[in-house]
Amino acid sequence: MNGYMGEILRVDLTHGKIMTIPTRAYEPWVGGHGMGSAIFFDLVKDKTIDGFDPANVVTIMTSPLCGTLVPAGSGRTEVQGIGVQSYPIGWFTRSNFGGRFSTMLKHAGWDGIVIEGRAEGPVWIDIRNRTVQIRNCRPLSLWGTDTWACQERIWNYVAGKGAFGDWLTLDGGGGGKTTQRPAVVAIGPAGENLSRMACLIHDAANSSGQGGFGAVWGSKNLKAISVIGTGSINVHAPKALMEARLRQTNTYAFDLDNRKGRPLSTVFDAPPRPVTLWGTPRGSKRPSEGQRPVACVGCHAGCRGRYESGLGNEAHCAGTAFYSEASSLDIQRRSSDLLNRYGVNAFEAWRGLEYLRVLNKEGVLGPGKKIDFPLTFKNFGSYEFVEQFVKMIAFRNDGHGHKSQTGADLGEGFVRAAEKWGRLEGEEGDLKTGWLNFPYWGLPNHYEPRAELEWGYGTILGDRDINEHCFNTIFWDVLISRFIGGKPRATAEETVKICTEKMIPFQGDHLMMDYGTENMYSEHMAKLVAWHRHYTRFWKQSALLCDFRWPDFINPYALDKVGSTGESEQKFFNAVTGKHFSFLDGIELGRRIWNLDQAIWTLQGRHRDMVHFADYIYQVPYGGPCFMTSRVNGAWEYVNISGRCIDKEKFEEFKTHFYHLEGWDPKTGYPSRSTLRSLNLGTVADELEKNGKLGKG
Amino acid sequence: MEKLSEPDKEIASRVLQEVGFKERIVGYQMRERSGPMVKSLYSFEEVVDFLNDTFPVLKFDELKRWLQVVMKDEELALKVEEAVEQGHTDYERTRLIRDLMGERLVQCKNARRSMA
Repeated sequence: MNGYMGEILRVDLTHGKIMTIPTRAYEPWVGGHGMGSAIFFDLVKDKTIDGFDPANVVTIMTSPLCGTLVPAGSGRTEVQGIGVQSYPIGWFTRSNFGGRFSTMLKHAGWDGIVIEGRAEGPVWIDIRNRTVQIRNCRPLSLWGTDTWACQERIWNYVAGKGAFGDWLTLDGGGGGKTTQRPAVVAIGPAGENLSRMACLIHDAANSSGQGGFGAVWGSKNLKAISVIGTGSINVHAPKALMEARLRQTNTYAFDLDNRKGRPLSTVFDAPPRPVTLWGTPRGSKRPSEGQRPVACVGCHAGCRGRYESGLGNEAHCAGTAFYSEASSLDIQRRSSDLLNRYGVNAFEAWRGLEYLRVLNKEGVLGPGKKIDFPLTFKNFGSYEFVEQFVKMIAFRNDGHGHKSQTGADLGEGFVRAAEKWGRLEGEEGDLKTGWLNFPYWGLPNHYEPRAELEWGYGTILGDRDINEHCFNTIFWDVLISRFIGGKPRATAEETVKICTEKMIPFQGDHLMMDYGTENMYSEHMAKLVAWHRHYTRFWKQSALLCDFRWPDFINPYALDKVGSTGESEQKFFNAVTGKHFSFLDGIELGRRIWNLDQAIWTLQGRHRDMVHFADYIYQVPYGGPCFMTSRVNGAWEYVNISGRCIDKEKFEEFKTHFYHLEGWDPKTGYPSRSTLRSLNLGTVADELEKNGKLGKG
Repeated sequence: MEKLSEPDKEIASRVLQEVGFKERIVGYQMRERSGPMVKSLYSFEEVVDFLNDTFPVLKFDELKRWLQVVMKDEELALKVEEAVEQGHTDYERTRLIRDLMGERLVQCKNARRSMA
């Protein structure tokens, strides 16, 4: 079992028991999400439980590639379980974070961790190689700390206060020496107070953001998991792996001395640099003091930064877009830090604050208003304002330590809060006007479902904002080109040909990438969405390739701009594991995992009738720009598909196409026995049948 | 482009005040990875800040109308129209407009100071 450590750690918090699961029992699922879903399915007998129920199981999984120097494929950790963030049902969901946790976990000898039950009081888990202990939080006073203080206390406890580079001899777990410090993932006050937008934080800002797993851990009285290991990972063919890495980075990665194409941040050839979205009144984008890029384990192109001042360390992406109205760059950087320290999901806080501001402007929310809200918007832009706001979410009070009903409501997430405040009722409800820009499953808008279809459809057919940028690169490349007057990396025709050739088993169907209004509900579009679901379920979420760098579709460094996807993924996988896996094997396994997930959602209560967007998506046209590929008089062009809604009835037609394509019952969306049997999921079919939820066909 | 003439007291006052929800102008803050963010802009200064972003998308005709109807700054609205014609790309247009509006903002702040 090359690439694996052989065992999965199983921790029962209720009874304080440490057990193991042989990895081999779940090896057919490979790792990450696949293994997590299969373990969840086996261990959680009643799938209808709430995410806060002690019977909820959280899996924290690695993949065979973790810690092996696969470029942009060695540093992710997949987290799963029943979430508490989505609405109206907390779906079985996933999240994923980078850094060094998964590598360290494997160095300690584990392929993953399964958390069950609920501890009597606050605890943390201390893993030192094979020695695992559930420790009370009290001696280190961990409960009540923010995520940074918590990690620091654990580092000092486990490794002492030595200087950087000092050798540490493990006093447990069979000894061994390392210069590393433990990898810790922790919750902050938001998780402790069961805020539904609480996340898990590892190091400064690696965040498992979606799903509310911080609150799930909080409900289990689990503050943190620390791991330190001194082992190593068996790789089947180390020489082949290193050659594949060198070939990949030499051929397809950014080359400072021979730059090609406009640098983008969501491609394999992205330059190593912090992806920050900080913006200020003066237009400055990046801190001016000394800084350096930071990468997850094994990545060839780090995307985070560490700064001389320490402000905003490792923050990136949406974590740096939050509070863009701050009156100075330093305030915005400190806002990013607040989210990470208190353990709050950046995206929901960011979009939610915009909504609160609308309500304030409308005169219905504020101190003494109809929605009596303790924040004074006169201070909007200041640090005091944002600190109070983040604390309201994290502590579910007025942000100053006093009781506040609206503060408590915020901890329920913005859609539940809006519902409680009566803002969703009537024809002018905030999900009808779009004031509350949360289009699917009570979650905030990211890429626009009315325009970027694979994103919106994939999300509503799944469990969370997919946050998968596979085709999104096209949108950015063309948008930037149009804005500054340059040329995109490839013509629309080249883009369609290159991408669809790689999309096996649907390769060659160019119409999959016609985002025009005429094609947006078609069988071809259903194939695009299905392929995307299957590719990401396996290659990104189970093999754990990074969403920032994979897939590699269009690459200006490559011959004819044809990126490495379809050729490279399996080379790395096979070099590590010694298996003979094809790219299509990965897509097919992704389909199997996607079907298992759909079965779990079905058991949770999902029916096709529930699968719809918020009303404004059908009623209010999207007004922003979005250039995607479409046919104009038979020729492929980049077309601005702004200004349209989704047609509710036609979207139902799309769902029917999609369910047919997946082999699910089009009347209910339930998976059918024949489909599940063909995927060797007969026991899953039995479970669905037992619950009266087996699809016909 | 010619300098803007000094704003009168009413324009200076409107430029420095926040507007209500119905008078807001909507733009799209385009940021790679975080997606298009609908931004409600509630003051002249917020619009200037917004235009400082890397890829701010604001419909130029809507901005012109906003300057005419909400700010009642006919001179600036016409200058914005000229800037739109003058720029070769949206990037250039946005930068020209940002500079014009930035200039007007400074004028208005100076006017307020001299009145105080």
